[in-house]
Amino acid sequence: MGFRGGMGIVVRKGGAAMNSVLRRVFFSLAVLLWAAVILYFYQSGRIVKYLAPDFREIALAGGLGLAVLGLFNLLTAHRKGDCGHDHGEGEKHDHDHEDRDMSPLASLILMTLPVGFSAAWTQDSFSQATLARKGLYDNLQLSETPYLASAFSAPTREEIENTHSKTADGYLQFSLMELFFATGDRELQDVIGGMQVETEGRIVEEKNDNPNGTRMRLYRMFMTCCVADSSAIPIILEFGKEPPLLPDNGWVQVAGTMTFPEENGTLKAVLQVNRATAADVPMEEKFLRR
Amino acid sequence: MNADARQDFALAFLGILFEGAPFILLGTLISGFIDIYLPAGTMDRFLPKNRNLAVLVSGLLGAVFPVCECAVVPVIRRLVGKGLPLGCALTYMLAAPIVNPITALSTWKAFQGQAPWAMTGGRMLLGYLIAVGVGLVVTRIALHRVLRKSIADSIENKPYESHSNCGHDHSHDPDHNPKKPDDSRLIAAMRSAQKDFVDVGIYFTIGVAITALFNTGIAPGAIWLDSLAGNPAAAPAALMALAFILSLCSTSDAFIAATLAKFTWSAKLAFLVFGPMLDVKLIFLYQSVLRRKFIMVMALSVFAFIWVFAVAWESWFGKVVLP
Repeated sequence: MGFRGGMGIVVRKGGAAMNSVLRRVFFSLAVLLWAAVILYFYQSGRIVKYLAPDFREIALAGGLGLAVLGLFNLLTAHRKGDCGHDHGEGEKHDHDHEDRDMSPLASLILMTLPVGFSAAWTQDSFSQATLARKGLYDNLQLSETPYLASAFSAPTREEIENTHSKTADGYLQFSLMELFFATGDRELQDVIGGMQVETEGRIVEEKNDNPNGTRMRLYRMFMTCCVADSSAIPIILEFGKEPPLLPDNGWVQVAGTMTFPEENGTLKAVLQVNRATAADVPMEEKFLRR
Repeated sequence: MNADARQDFALAFLGILFEGAPFILLGTLISGFIDIYLPAGTMDRFLPKNRNLAVLVSGLLGAVFPVCECAVVPVIRRLVGKGLPLGCALTYMLAAPIVNPITALSTWKAFQGQAPWAMTGGRMLLGYLIAVGVGLVVTRIALHRVLRKSIADSIENKPYESHSNCGHDHSHDPDHNPKKPDDSRLIAAMRSAQKDFVDVGIYFTIGVAITALFNTGIAPGAIWLDSLAGNPAAAPAALMALAFILSLCSTSDAFIAATLAKFTWSAKLAFLVFGPMLDVKLIFLYQSVLRRKFIMVMALSVFAFIWVFAVAWESWFGKVVLP
């Protein structure tokens, strides 16, 4: 019918077809950009800064799925699809189930600009101001954290010594998280308090209750699902004198005696430091951009 | 925006995007294939004829088809288009992220030592009741007052005429040919999925951007939040507001809630029921299907109902029955 109606109709049909192809190309490009960003962050290893382990493989599957979806639709953009059913009166018989209100170009811009700019802007870590907002300088408190505490359920001193490596100079190697969460568990405090321990983390200035300037703060970030829900896991380092010069926010290895004093009504996790040295970035943190 | 703010925004934005995009893809692939391959009215045939009973059953479909809140929106868009009654679709949309085995397992695990069975059961039961309540109300409202105009028009103008031979609907084309090549249907399904992904992805992007902005600046309110923790009336409202802003996935939000040690049990329950139903990103996702006015009314109603429940629970049972 369209071709019998004259040149005007032919042009409209041709224009509509071209618009459909163009729209599919725009949509495919948007999907492919998302795929490329996800797959790039996964392949480069930077994904560890964004997602907890359980979600990384899901992200990979998502990135691959998006790549397949975008490529498939890009390569078949010129072909006619068949939705396999017929349509009501007044409904287009050659429709492709792709009608939408927003223009394809606006869709492409909204889909790609925020992702593109974010991929360009990110440094894979929060600024000091946001770290502070995420608990870096919050006072530690005695609290029940059953899910996390249950992961380290009330071991004996012997069990700890059997399950933690010992350094050549006699310090038991702990993750910072174990020491932090011991603050909320009286049983763990009784066991770990007074122990000679070694741990690692990033060192920053101590801003709370530090009148003599002998303290620093050691922290790592802990995420449940993604970096947006991450929070700082800090303990206090007490040097008993002016702290040694260590790179601000750099990775350090510290060893000393673990204590849990109550100061000004607040329970604290304080490591009385015997030695502190700059350390390599640990394996799971080595994917920093700079 | 200074360099630090850009860095913070970008990190939070990409983190949430990487976490949510695969689930949206899953939902849109399902929706795309539903669009092309699922005959209209199929879902309807699985549900009881009585519309109230159908809503009650819809609230349990998440146990069979577990879908998180990001993925459920494109799925219900297609199901509504395929003839699933709107009340049933909205019931499924609100209940499925909560009443499903994955969410139940994560809630139970997260609340070890904090009455895990009570929290898991309470979350699923309250989520189910609210979803069913919304569904029963919606069955009594005209489509165009709930759905976006374009979607409502497409449904109201689509005659579903059953055709017993091939199991899907026809209207006026007697030359229907069921032997059309399969790859053309696959192309149509993939196009439909991609179109849905872009539709939902745009709203998701806007929602994630807003969430990231709040997320990187939210902690100044932490002290204020803590001050509300012991207040039985303010605590549930505060945690629902927090859930709204944080926009966490229902499969993982329990791990956050369990660490909110200062807050009452009922406030945490409010956090876990309200979050999967309404948050910043969902507000934008819902706009791809529902009218803004309806979303606003639904949001306020759900908020009010959960708040009343949480306050009543805390007053009557909280300190006696549960920690």
